[in-house]
Amino acid sequence: MSPADDAPTHHVEAVPSPGGDEGGITDAERYPTLTAHGRRMLDFLQGHPHAPLYRNRSGNRLTADEVEHVRAFEREVEAAAVGWRAGELPPWLDAFVDRCFADTPAYRRYGSRPRDFHDVPTVSRADLGRDVARFVPDGVPAERLINFRTSGTTGHPLLLASLPTVAAGYLAFHQRALRRFAIELTHGRGQVGVVLVGFQRECFTYVSVTPTMDESGLAKINLHPGDWRDPDDRARYLDALAPEVYTGDPLSFHELAALPLATRPRALLSTSMALGTALRARLEARFGCPVLDLYSLNESGPVAVYDEAEGGHVLLQHRLYVEILDDTGRPVPPGERGEVTLTGGFNPCLPLLRYRTGDQAALRVAAGGEPVLVGLEGRPPVRFRTAAGEWLNNIEVTHALKRFALAQFTLHQAADGTLHFRFRGPESQARAIGDALRALFGAGQALEVEADGFEDGKVVQYTSELAGARP
Amino acid sequence: MKQGTPAGQSAMEREGPVLETLTRRLAETPEDFLGEPRIGTAGRVHTAAVVGDLVRALGGVAGGAELARFRGADAGTDRNRLAVTLVLCWLLADDWFARAAPPSAALLALLGDEAGELAAQAAAGKFVTDPDRREELARLALARLGYRPAGETPAQAQDRLTTLSSAERARVLRAARAAEERSRAIREALIKKAAEESADKWTRE
Repeated sequence: MSPADDAPTHHVEAVPSPGGDEGGITDAERYPTLTAHGRRMLDFLQGHPHAPLYRNRSGNRLTADEVEHVRAFEREVEAAAVGWRAGELPPWLDAFVDRCFADTPAYRRYGSRPRDFHDVPTVSRADLGRDVARFVPDGVPAERLINFRTSGTTGHPLLLASLPTVAAGYLAFHQRALRRFAIELTHGRGQVGVVLVGFQRECFTYVSVTPTMDESGLAKINLHPGDWRDPDDRARYLDALAPEVYTGDPLSFHELAALPLATRPRALLSTSMALGTALRARLEARFGCPVLDLYSLNESGPVAVYDEAEGGHVLLQHRLYVEILDDTGRPVPPGERGEVTLTGGFNPCLPLLRYRTGDQAALRVAAGGEPVLVGLEGRPPVRFRTAAGEWLNNIEVTHALKRFALAQFTLHQAADGTLHFRFRGPESQARAIGDALRALFGAGQALEVEADGFEDGKVVQYTSELAGARP
Repeated sequence: MKQGTPAGQSAMEREGPVLETLTRRLAETPEDFLGEPRIGTAGRVHTAAVVGDLVRALGGVAGGAELARFRGADAGTDRNRLAVTLVLCWLLADDWFARAAPPSAALLALLGDEAGELAAQAAAGKFVTDPDRREELARLALARLGYRPAGETPAQAQDRLTTLSSAERARVLRAARAAEERSRAIREALIKKAAEESADKWTRE
């Protein structure tokens, strides 16, 4: 079933809002270019007999001019080469840094621009948290701002300034990532392009349309049974939508995989949490399509996509320079691990100038010249002590566990050295996981393995109470 | 910016060098003094060492505690202040100041507090490239050490410094007010319900 079944193919003028302004804005503001086709899609998504309870309202917010701007951006991203010559800075960087020092208050306070890019001070999430408004350049009109709320794993929420064109611009990088896997999106009018899948007790849910895709449908849903009249409606509804792409995180995909879906997407895009090799393989087998692991931050949008053939996450943005820095802010030698640090981006409200992400990786250049993040791990490294008293970096734990299909896990070492491993995934794996960890840490290692004990949302994957855990 | 006289010191009682020799010197500040101040492991120029050398060259002494403030801790907040200090160090390394041998306490106050106040108003490079800022820096340095430019009366020197500093202070105040108003408008826009509704992203972080 699709809303196009009975949709006329004419009548494309914008449709005024029939109401729905309880959220502070009207549908005309949520969907400025909405046509009768788009309205029909919204009605289909919202009014389907098996639809979930949609708790929120949102929209693309794009004016006609902005739709054209986004289309042009998609063409630019498609045509652009990503990367820079080894030992050199990308050619666009110099003018970008000049602009930051000229028109962004947070950077202006640094004083005169340093001659050497590597002398530009770095910025952390804490700096953004102090006053994110000072990172918005002078010329950006305040009235068009939207916010991206980021909670991270630290519990300190942060509101980042953005624009509707930035939100829409994500799709250009998704398409670039999908092309690596030989997928060109083909959906259009009367079809559902994407379903964003969540699995949380509370989740922002709504329906919309994508103007650059001829108003194909977009639904952001929560698979938690509390959002549905009948849990069986989940599969019925998703089969009715038959989206071309599902996006979500390993936890929500783990849940999606358990539904008796008859339809198949062309791709899954995973963000927000680390996606292990085994879970990715299991999802690819289950859905019969590629599962892309995107490295994406609210601060920057999609940064990179995992490509097994390149051995890491291949960069996606042509105006994003990535450095790997040590704890003191100096670039590490090529190939060594350090903190992923970003300059550039496509959000005019948040130009990033040496933004330290807190994530760890090494950077190498693939044969074709593309920069690749190798061994990407969220958060700073944590060391764990083995039964024999040796220290292991958390990346060794990641490697030891990569054959297990884990939607989410944490490893904590208590002050007495006991390891506590918690995971979400098939419980039958618990014994084998215990064996793998003992093989790594030694037979005498005190260890508890617990299945499925998580609260909602992101977790800090590796933690320790031992002194010396932070290398 | 302070316009008055350091406690216990009469302002501009003594005649100093011709102003143009100082402003020309500033315009010709060499690369070494425009280098990146060392803060933590970044930057190359050790400002504390440069200040220590200058104080000694002018016949004074400065201990570790007095020089600590010139090391800096946070590049984001300290680098412009230290960069202004370095420009001042170049200015004060002129032979005339060596002959004048100003007191170390006044020197350190100029290189420390005064540089901090100037850094809050302009990027260090402006005190080299902008004629008004060069004149302001040269006059201020003389005034804080108790001198006035050669050929001017104390009243003339004070008037000119006040005019330069007042204009700059007014500009800085206007800019600060505008910046604060802009920040407030952005913060308010961000917490509006309309912004809260966000916009369509195909993926969420």
